Amino acid sequence: MSLRERGSQPVRIEQDVVLARQLTRKIASDCGMRLVDLTKLVTAVSELARNTVVYGGGGDMDWEVIEEAGRVGVRLVFRDEGPGIADIKLALTDGWTSGGGLGLGLTGARRLVDEFELDTAPGQGTRVMITRWI
Amino acid sequence: MERIPILQMGEFLLVTIQVDMHDQLALRLQDDLTDRIEHTSARGVLIDISALDMVDSFIGRMIATISGLSRIMDAETVLVGMQPAVAITLVELGLTLPGVSTALNVDRGMHLLRKRVGHS
Amino acid sequence: MVKLWEGVLALPLIGTLDSHRSQTVMESLLQRIVDTGSEIAIIDITGVPTVDTLVAQHLLKTVTAIRLMGADCIISGVRPQIAQTIVHLGLDLGTLTTKSNLADALKLALARLGTAAGERV
Repeated sequence: MSLRERGSQPVRIEQDVVLARQLTRKIASDCGMRLVDLTKLVTAVSELARNTVVYGGGGDMDWEVIEEAGRVGVRLVFRDEGPGIADIKLALTDGWTSGGGLGLGLTGARRLVDEFELDTAPGQGTRVMITRWI
Repeated sequence: MERIPILQMGEFLLVTIQVDMHDQLALRLQDDLTDRIEHTSARGVLIDISALDMVDSFIGRMIATISGLSRIMDAETVLVGMQPAVAITLVELGLTLPGVSTALNVDRGMHLLRKRVGHS
Repeated sequence: MVKLWEGVLALPLIGTLDSHRSQTVMESLLQRIVDTGSEIAIIDITGVPTVDTLVAQHLLKTVTAIRLMGADCIISGVRPQIAQTIVHLGLDLGTLTTKSNLADALKLALARLGTAAGERV
């Protein structure tokens, strides 16, 4: 996998979640990511891809092998034109431990990656960007 | 329709998950298992995930649900073979599966089930 | 990492544990557990001078991961001050098994395995 290689694939139906996992596994593995880090990344991808399908009404996953300050990483963006998230604070509250939150698995995914950015507003769709360094 | 096979061994049910499951397949497994427990009056369920290189919150919750439902139906569930990277990730996710018994492999898992179900 | 007995692995930790090092060490331990089929791992922290929040949380995560895999873990070398730190941090001690020294931890491990073996007969 060479630097700045990139691509995009649709995340519209359930099977696309599986495809997203498999593609991410391949990209990260080709880059030489360690198994534990790779597993965390693939798991985060599964959570976010599912959100895109189930709550976002379907969208896309953009991926890119990036280089920043001498280190290589895998960056993914999940974007949809869905309803957006009204209460970001609530969405980023742990779902299953406190019983609150929105159960979107966003906090979980956030813990599994090095960088996490959430861009959303009601009626504006949702965009989540994650990065895991090699 | 794609289904994950459930094997019956006496009063125990054995499930080996070897495919990357999409959500519907996982839910189908949950339903199939609970049906089989009821129809066979199974006393134990062994779920082998040694081939799974990823368990996310959906699958994690499915496992916890199966464990809870089977207990209600008087069956014990044991989860075996979780890979280290998967275990580390689940802990990081905050999904610790309390109430789900675990064992290193099918052999130990069956031993644990027999012990729990009251055999020597 | 040492195989102390059939089914018992011991990991003596020495020196200060920085985040990266402790992660790789723990990952090796988990893999060894699977490779050897060891049901009990003893993590000995006698040689660790300070146990702060990060180290304590990391130990707890390791124990949880080991349990998810189907084995169990005993932390040995827990001095009174460390026990206090862990309690102070409000961590869930309920499920953590600790011993003040490695010998006691091994005794407990063998007792647990012995019970299991006894029941196998």
